[in-house]
Amino acid sequence: MLVAGCDVGSLTAKAVILSDGKILSQAVRRANSRPEESAKEIMDLALADAGLAFSDLAYVIGTGYGRRQISFVNEVVSEIVCHGKAAQWLNPSVRMVIDVGGQDAKAILVDENGSVVRYVYNDKCASGTGRFLEIMAEALEVPLGELGEQATISQNPVSISNQCTVFAETEVVSLLNNGKAIPDIASGLMRAMAHRIAALAKSIGLEPEIAMSGGVAKNQGMFSALEEVLGLKIMRLEGDPQINGALGAALLAEEAMRKTVS
Amino acid sequence: MLNEFSEVAKTLSNRFIQQWKDDGKQVVGFMCSYVPEEIICAAGLLPFRMRGIGASSTSIADTYFGPVICSFPKCILQLAGEGKYDFLDGIILIPGCDSIRRIDECWRKAAEESHGKFPPFHLYYGVPHKLTDYSLEWFVAETRKLVESLERHFGRKITPEDLTHAIKIYNQGRILLTRLDELRAGENVPISGADATAVIISAGVMPRDAYNRLLEELLQKLSRSTNGMTGKKRLLLAGSIIDDIDLVRLIEASGGIVVADTLCFGSRSYVDLVEEDGDPLVAIARRYLSHKLCPRMFGSYKERLEFMKQRVRQARVDAVILQNIRFCDMHGSENSLYERDLEAMGIPCLKIEREYGPLVEEGRIKMRVDAFMESLNT
Amino acid sequence: MRKEYREYHFDRMVQSIIHFASLAYDGTPKEAFGMFRYAPRFREAIETILKTGEPGVLLLKMIDKYLIEVLTAHERGKKIALCTFNFSPGVLKPLDVVPICLEPVTTLGVMMWLRGLGEYLNYCCEIGFTETSCSAQRGALGAYLAGLGVKPDFVLCNSIGVCDTNATAFNFAAEYLDLPFYQLNAPPLLTDERSQKYHRQDFRGLISFAEEQTGKKLDVDLLREVIIETDKQDMIMCEIEDLMRLVPSPVPGIFNVFMYSAKYIYGGSKEATDVMASMLEVAKRNASEGRAGTTSGKEDARAFAVYVDHYSAQLRPWSWLDSKNISHLGCMMNGFWPVHAPYAEENLKEGTYIMDSTNEDTMIDSLADQMSRMPMVKQIRGPYDDPHQWLSDTMASIRTYKPDFCMYTGTIGCRNTWGAIKILARDTEKMGIPTLIIFGDAFDHRITSWESMRDKIDEFLTVRGILK
Ligand SMILES: Nc1ncnc2c1ncn2[C@@H]1O[C@H](COP(=O)(O)OP(=O)(O)OP(=O)(O)O)[C@@H](O)[C@H]1O
Ligand code: SF4
Ligand SMILES: [Mg+2]
Repeated sequence: MLVAGCDVGSLTAKAVILSDGKILSQAVRRANSRPEESAKEIMDLALADAGLAFSDLAYVIGTGYGRRQISFVNEVVSEIVCHGKAAQWLNPSVRMVIDVGGQDAKAILVDENGSVVRYVYNDKCASGTGRFLEIMAEALEVPLGELGEQATISQNPVSISNQCTVFAETEVVSLLNNGKAIPDIASGLMRAMAHRIAALAKSIGLEPEIAMSGGVAKNQGMFSALEEVLGLKIMRLEGDPQINGALGAALLAEEAMRKTVS
Repeated sequence: MLNEFSEVAKTLSNRFIQQWKDDGKQVVGFMCSYVPEEIICAAGLLPFRMRGIGASSTSIADTYFGPVICSFPKCILQLAGEGKYDFLDGIILIPGCDSIRRIDECWRKAAEESHGKFPPFHLYYGVPHKLTDYSLEWFVAETRKLVESLERHFGRKITPEDLTHAIKIYNQGRILLTRLDELRAGENVPISGADATAVIISAGVMPRDAYNRLLEELLQKLSRSTNGMTGKKRLLLAGSIIDDIDLVRLIEASGGIVVADTLCFGSRSYVDLVEEDGDPLVAIARRYLSHKLCPRMFGSYKERLEFMKQRVRQARVDAVILQNIRFCDMHGSENSLYERDLEAMGIPCLKIEREYGPLVEEGRIKMRVDAFMESLNT
Repeated sequence: MRKEYREYHFDRMVQSIIHFASLAYDGTPKEAFGMFRYAPRFREAIETILKTGEPGVLLLKMIDKYLIEVLTAHERGKKIALCTFNFSPGVLKPLDVVPICLEPVTTLGVMMWLRGLGEYLNYCCEIGFTETSCSAQRGALGAYLAGLGVKPDFVLCNSIGVCDTNATAFNFAAEYLDLPFYQLNAPPLLTDERSQKYHRQDFRGLISFAEEQTGKKLDVDLLREVIIETDKQDMIMCEIEDLMRLVPSPVPGIFNVFMYSAKYIYGGSKEATDVMASMLEVAKRNASEGRAGTTSGKEDARAFAVYVDHYSAQLRPWSWLDSKNISHLGCMMNGFWPVHAPYAEENLKEGTYIMDSTNEDTMIDSLADQMSRMPMVKQIRGPYDDPHQWLSDTMASIRTYKPDFCMYTGTIGCRNTWGAIKILARDTEKMGIPTLIIFGDAFDHRITSWESMRDKIDEFLTVRGILK
């Protein structure tokens, strides 16, 4: 049985195709301003990779910020549920998932079945998201992928406590002008953001079996900064954490099919 | 000697606190200039004005506080959560302003959840927002409750003599600080605004008799000083809380000199004396409730404007810097009224909004002050 | 402020819209809805109100009457007071003063106009408010400060000690327009003798102040009328609230906002009583038929808002909840605490008020007690978990109305509720009530659009298994 999940986030679109509990193909791509179009493109990419046609899919679930605009799916589900599902499937002991995407950061508590118990989004005015890091990478003129590495070599992280992206950007510029080293600023930024994400997680009650998903989980600097701030080891889940929303959607699609069969 | 003050102002747990604790005595923190330090002192305790310096994030505070809250109480809670306030034996919280009063429940929840870092004594002390005969009556009763709670918890009776003694010491401190202001008001300014701020802040965080002695020495030295600063633009600093001398230093780096302030860590804390005769407790309550220099006393803007004008005149101020911490609507809005009224009198004003905390916005603030100073000089 | 905004008086505009909307219904429904073609912008809000039938019409007529009273007050030789919303207007009648109930007028504006009150909100910032200050005042106040409305003669504020940003706005207005200012101040405690005495003396100060401003004496006969009417109207309100306990709740969710609007604008007057009586009829009818107050007559879930409602979306939050068969069981703004209130459980009776018409003194005390227990004045004055404060009142409402979930939406100006909401939500969650905190602004749709708030609520209802 072939099913798929399609996650159109605020920054990227993701798709995963599952065949009887195995990932057949996956795709990630920057989304454009039309979720419908992004969804189509990413689905086509994943299908092409697997050598399949859309009609081969038995069930498709859409999720993410743009989920309501995807017309070809059978069902839409909140990304909260999808991220919870995927993380728990990848490692059944997971009880808390922190998803940091482009626009939102979320902390999700799940039970042993992967069902959501409680969750919380970041306060809108605080900058604890992937987009924040992108803007800062631009201000520092460092490729986003390198920002995390830069942070890990810092000897002397600067302290950055500005809550607001706009303020923080000017702050970064003035730190540069004052001759602070890029790794130290990068590390300061990661810590500041890690602190904000930690506060989010703590506000609904931290669980030690914690995993991270979303594109920002690929940022090594961020990953370790968060571990340091939480004082906990974060589980390393198998595969690309950025596709977990889509993966969760595909898993739920499989469940839905199983239900209709039985 | 100035070094001594600036050391005290820059470190949260300064050497006087450590000495005090080593002597086996206790420290009680208080949140705002509307808490009568005299009473804490009369109980044989060291009153410590709560500060947020040195906090480098607000991650602990943000699990309790929501967004859109002033960063000053957040930094305080953060420090407490990190164990940096472990020298406290108690804390007195108060409805100074809304951000300040909301630390109450956040503090208690944080205390429940992080064993041992928070002091055992906790009291919420109400202060009305207006002065009338009935509000004073209410406040006297509230102040009596404060006395009783301290007595009960710390096991020491506060006698009228204790109170009278404390009143004397604090009044003396206030008089000395007023003399410092007079020296700063002279043509030849013997002390930078940053250093003066350090001296003033120290008053709230060290034993007052030791403080008075130190200050007296300093005043003697300053009054003999001949190499003061002249020719600089003379500034008055107003608005939200400032207990960060680096911020004052940053402002002065643009060429001006801060010669006066109307801040609550600053001159507002020492302008009114407590009457020395009559029932000491009532006298203390009257001093604090009559104090209208914080915008928390609504409806008294005109009196505050008068005070501001008086400071401007006395210290021969050329320009006023009106700043507010983000989310402080009281100072923020009132700053606009000051701007309107002072500029009408020909006194240039600079209005800025800032965050509380380690000079995170150094660049932004510097740019504005620079431009302002330039406009003053042309 | 853009030029075209300076062309018309804000209060006059609001009044004429309400006026025509309320008249339209006197004609045939076809005529009424025909009129809406010419009023596409505020159509949605008015339709939502009129859909309720008689209560909605009466409400609009009541608001219309009120606005005319304000607009013509000076012609009729009466003084106008700029008041906070949490100011029970009953006492002003025997003082011959007409109130501008500021936040309710802001609410009317943001509900009626698709574009909201952005221009007025910004105007306040232009002349000196911080942009972080509460939007509930900044909305209509911007118009008044710009001279685009009647000119108040003095300011009466009931938020001192309760909410700084609110008090600051009124304080600023008084300074800016150079008006006399009286403030009622709430100490952190409510029911102890010392605080009760304080409130009663403070309230007498208000009466003397108003007498000074008008040169007239408090009219004791009118005062008695207000006392009797208040009691009557409270009884009806409490009966409606009592019906809300039924499952399904026979009370349409929007009645809650009708109730507090009526109290804020005409508390203690017959105008408000009539609206309440009409609502009670509808609710009773629904109850006798076992119908929910929703349009479909079904109830799939029950909601309670722990703070305010969301006003800046042409009443869409109410119609959306209604379309989902969710009974909206009110919010903190409904917490007036008359002695008959169903949520005033036995151990909470101290926090209530009674209307005692024995003599002038008892009458003034009654109004003083009522004033000190107005929504927000009562709950936000002290530590959130003190007796009679936010937590205890929220818990009482939860026990009374048995909601399936709670929501928090507020304004970005609200230091107090934003200061304690994370802690409060933990407590309600612990009680087993899923609680959603939404970042948005009740009076400024530019902060978060209703559509995105709606998606968050929708997601919450599904993820937390509230709507199956
Ligand atoms: N290779 C990488 N290294 C570091 N960071 C990365 C990498 N790839 C993506 N990111 C980060 O991930 C973010 C995007 O994450 P993601 O794709 O999960 O967002 P989204 O799902 O579109 O957003 P949201 O869930 O908020 O709607 C980027 O902003 C970037 O910061
Ligand atoms: S600004 Fe006023 S309320 Fe705030 S801490 Fe200072 S004195 Fe207290
Ligand atoms: Mg995502």
